[in-house]
Order: sequence, then C-alpha cells, then structure tokens
Amino acid sequence: MAGGGGGCVTLGGAQIRDLLDSKHNVLFDCDGVIWNGETAVTGAPEVVSLLKQRGKRVFFVTNNCTRPRENYVQKFSRLGFADVAEEEIFSSAYCSAAYLRDVARLQGKVYVIGCGGVMKELRDAGVPVAEEEDAEPGASIYTCPLDPDVKAVLVGYDENFTFMKLAKACCYLRSSECLFLATDPDPWHPLRGGRVTPGSGSLTAALETASSRKATVIGKPSCFMFDCIASQFGLDPARSLMIGDRLETDVLFGSNCGLTTVLTLTGVSTLQEALAFRDSQEPQQKHCAPDYVMESVADFLQALEE
Amino acid sequence: MAASKCTRLTGVLSRQLLDSVDSVLFDCDGVIWRGDQAIPGAPEVINSLKKNGKRVFFVTNNSTKTRQMYADKLGKLGFDASADEVFGTAYCSAVYLKNVCKLDGKVYLIGSNAMRQELEGVGIRPVGVGPDPVSGVQKDWANVPLDNEVRAVLVGFDEHFSYMKLNRALQYLCNPDCQFVGTNTDTRLPLEGGKAVPGTGCLLRAVETAAQRKAQVVGKPNIFMFECVASQFGLDPERCLMVGDRLDTDIMLGSNCGLKTLLTLTGVSTVAEAEANQKCECPQRQKMVPDYYIESIADILPALQA
Repeated sequence: MAGGGGGCVTLGGAQIRDLLDSKHNVLFDCDGVIWNGETAVTGAPEVVSLLKQRGKRVFFVTNNCTRPRENYVQKFSRLGFADVAEEEIFSSAYCSAAYLRDVARLQGKVYVIGCGGVMKELRDAGVPVAEEEDAEPGASIYTCPLDPDVKAVLVGYDENFTFMKLAKACCYLRSSECLFLATDPDPWHPLRGGRVTPGSGSLTAALETASSRKATVIGKPSCFMFDCIASQFGLDPARSLMIGDRLETDVLFGSNCGLTTVLTLTGVSTLQEALAFRDSQEPQQKHCAPDYVMESVADFLQALEE
Repeated sequence: MAASKCTRLTGVLSRQLLDSVDSVLFDCDGVIWRGDQAIPGAPEVINSLKKNGKRVFFVTNNSTKTRQMYADKLGKLGFDASADEVFGTAYCSAVYLKNVCKLDGKVYLIGSNAMRQELEGVGIRPVGVGPDPVSGVQKDWANVPLDNEVRAVLVGFDEHFSYMKLNRALQYLCNPDCQFVGTNTDTRLPLEGGKAVPGTGCLLRAVETAAQRKAQVVGKPNIFMFECVASQFGLDPERCLMVGDRLDTDIMLGSNCGLKTLLTLTGVSTVAEAEANQKCECPQRQKMVPDYYIESIADILPALQA
C-alpha cells in the first residue's frame, strides 16, 4: 500500500492486514491513542504486544514533556503494557536534551522554562542547566542577574511559569548566538472530562513575541523526533507507520517525515475535521489529512490475531 | 491630509499645520517623555499649544497607570495637564467593556491595580488581580473554582503573570459566551531609566494561543482610543493632529481615523521605515506613512512662539 495521499480512507479487516504487512516500524502517539489519562485504550496493550510478536518495531512518540522516560516506563507497566523499554519511548523532553547534546553540540548552559521531566532528561543527557536563583526579597524583573554561560533557551510546559522567567529568557535571547528551542507547539493539553490546560505552545508564543524570534520546535509536527529515532534505529520512512489522534501534530508529523499516517478517533481530532483538511485547497492543511482513519487502535487486533 | 506624504516639517509648514488643527493628540513614551524624563522642550510645546488655544490629549497604550496617575506624572515633569485629558488603556478598556461589550457581570483580570481601579470606576468588578501561584496538581487545574458571575476576560500588563493565571483565563474562555479583551499588543513595555521588559502583547499571545481565540484589542491602532476622546470632547477628525513615535500604532491610528499625522524621531520608528512603507503597494503599510515627520516635538516651538 502506498503511503501519502491523505485520503482519510476507513480501513476494513483485510486492508488493515495488508497495511501492517507493508510496514516494519509502527510509531504511536500516546495520549488519546494508547491511553487516556490513567486508562489504557481497550485493546491497546494487546495490539502493542502482538505487533512485537510479529517482528514489528514499536516506538512511542509523545509531545508530552512533563515526565522523564523512566516515569513513562512505569506508566506503561501500570496500564498493562508488557515490556515497553525506555529505548522505545521518545518524548519531546528526551529529544530536546538529545538535540542540545548531539545536534547543537551545546557549549555552555541552557536556561530552561520547564518542569521536572525536562530537567531530568537534560541532566541525564549531561547538558548543563542554568540554576534558578531563589527569589531574593528585593529582586524584581528589572534587576535580576544573567548567567554569562547561557548559550541556549529551552521553553516547555511549566506550571511555575512567571513574568520574571519570561523577562530573563528574553534577555538571554537578545544575543543571536543564543539558541531558542521549544519542546513542542501544543497550545493546550486535554485533561479528563473534556477539560484543557495551557500547553507549551502558549508559553512559547509569549517568548517568541517578547524576543521577536521564532523557536526551533523539537516536538511534532517537526521532524526532529523522527530523526532522533532514525539516528538510533535506522528507520526507513517508507516502511514506517504513524498512528495519532491529533491532526495538526501527529498526522502532520507523519506527513512531514514521509510516513504513512493513521488517525484514531479515541482522542482529540474528529473524522469531520480530518475530511475538512482533506478537502482544503491549502497545501499545508492537506498535509494534516491522514491516509487512513480508524475508530481505535483496537481495530488492529483482528488482523493481528489471525 | 497632505497630498504628498512623509514630508519633513519645517518652520513654515509647522505654522500651516498648527493653523489647520484645533486638537493635538500625543502619544507619551518616546514622544513627550522617555521613562521618567521629559523630552527636552516637550513641556514647553504642550503648554504653548494650550496658550495658543489648542486642546491637548494624551493617548497611550500603557495600561499600568490610571488617568490620575498619568496626570500626576505629567505635572511632575512640568506639563500643564489634567486627568480628563489622558486616555490610557487602563481607562479605555474599562470604558470599552462597559459601553461596547455592554458587560453585565464581573471580569477576570490579568492586569494591574491601576486597571482594577479604572474598572471599579465604571462600576465593573474585577477578580484575579495580584499574585496567583500554582497549587495542587495538574488534574486540579481544569477544576479551579470559577466565579460564575465572570462574563469577560481582560488582559493587560501584569508583572504577576503566571501559569495559574493563564490557566484560569483559559478555563473562563472555554465558554464561547465569555468575552475576551486585551489592552494592547505592544511587545515591549518601556520602563523608567530607559530599560524595557516584555509587554502586554506577549501575555495576550499566551492566552490567545492556549484558548485558540483572538482578543478584541482596545489600544492603538484600534480606532476606539480616538473615539473615546472624540465622544467626550466632540472632536472633528479633520481638525485633529496625532503625534507619535510608532508607525504601527500611533500613525496607523491617525490614518484609520482620518487625522493628520506627525512622526517624531525621539522614539521607536525611523524615517527610513516610513519611506519604505511609502514605496510599498500594500494598503496596510500605506497607513503607516505619516503626513509629516520631525526630529523632536521641541522643534515646533519656534512656530508656536512666533
């Protein structure tokens, strides 16, 4: 089955088997695809196990930058996924650290607007992080000192985001030699019950506006996370499948990297939205239309169990 | 409006321009003061205009002061001015919410005490001013207690801006009936002593991105700022001069409202930028070409004293 085309085709039994036969690597988004919050999508653990038994390589590609990889391993285990290894998990936090170490080859420190997950991945990768001084009583946005060793700014989801951090980051970004990275572009994240919380994208927007600079975004839909996996595992895009629930991130990511794309309807985006992208005249929007649509990853089960 | 544009304002032209207008509207930062220092000659110009029978108004996008606070600052710097001649966005946003949005209820405010005072001054009760650090865990945030009398979110400059405030604003804005207003989109806020910090535009972009909604923006170049002055003082646009230092706010406001426009070079924009706009075919950029430009407003003084 040829990849590309963005036709939003609904797959039936035999077609699913043919699709799987033609692919060696399966990349899954997590939230809204294999789990929702603390609940696994029904059938997802079995699908992952069966794919591996069939000799497929399985990877998990998530924009969520709040946890380090070892926490994800624990979550997989908790939710009934057997034997998911840390090496198979690619989060935007992990990939941001890898980018700074391997691609940018950062000489110096990174000033981070982010949470514990990002900090841990940076430490594990050996990337020095600028220390956040405790706010002194007289400190204000007008007088805080800058660390001369900072050569990069990384912005991601940060529940402790403050105006002071925004001002400091903006000062560092005045130097054109200072790199500007963002973990992911997601404007909001879904929580249980249809509620949402502000995402990395909203904080990045503030900093881009303040600095008049555009961030290099590590997470989907940028290809860097795929490059990161490919550099470690040698993936052929033509033999790789991307399964996600968010058209503007997962599907566009797959499309940008030359993968075949599947939208599952257990998360954020709807079939209607997919069709609207398919029928759009704008090329960028057409790239958000998936090749195939499935109700849920559980639809793979029948094909895999035969 | 002059048939030719972007003309240097010389002595003779100054006299003619002044005779052709009854009211002069001044931007503040970069035009009559820089931080806490008056531009040399500026107080004399304003005071002289009034002696010549012209009405003078101050129109600023800065939301951190009330009209009275501005009047106090003007007085301290030697300008003869009263609070009712000042139109800052703290005041104008309050008027906008009252008269244009016809707000019946409370407003969730990301902004300053000055904004709170101006809102209370028109009978609107704000909630949310002041520090708001995060507490609880992520799944609590979608369920922060919301005040069910809030019918609008207003975003202005707020040095206490935090993730929690962004989150609260997002929760209110998930209701499509909740109105969304911003004071201005300036990306930098000038401070005393010539420094600058990230401006309201950055905070507004964060909220707009998280909520995936666009705010109604009160400040220049929106014509509301002029309409606010005109409705209280009965101004004829053709007999008004707008004096500013920014092509994209002050001059554009003047163009939008049919005022004569004068660019002063003591602030942000340059003649080169104005001339580049003039050469451009784009109608939006044509609106950012002043009728006249001058090195400093002090240069009008000879024409006034003649």
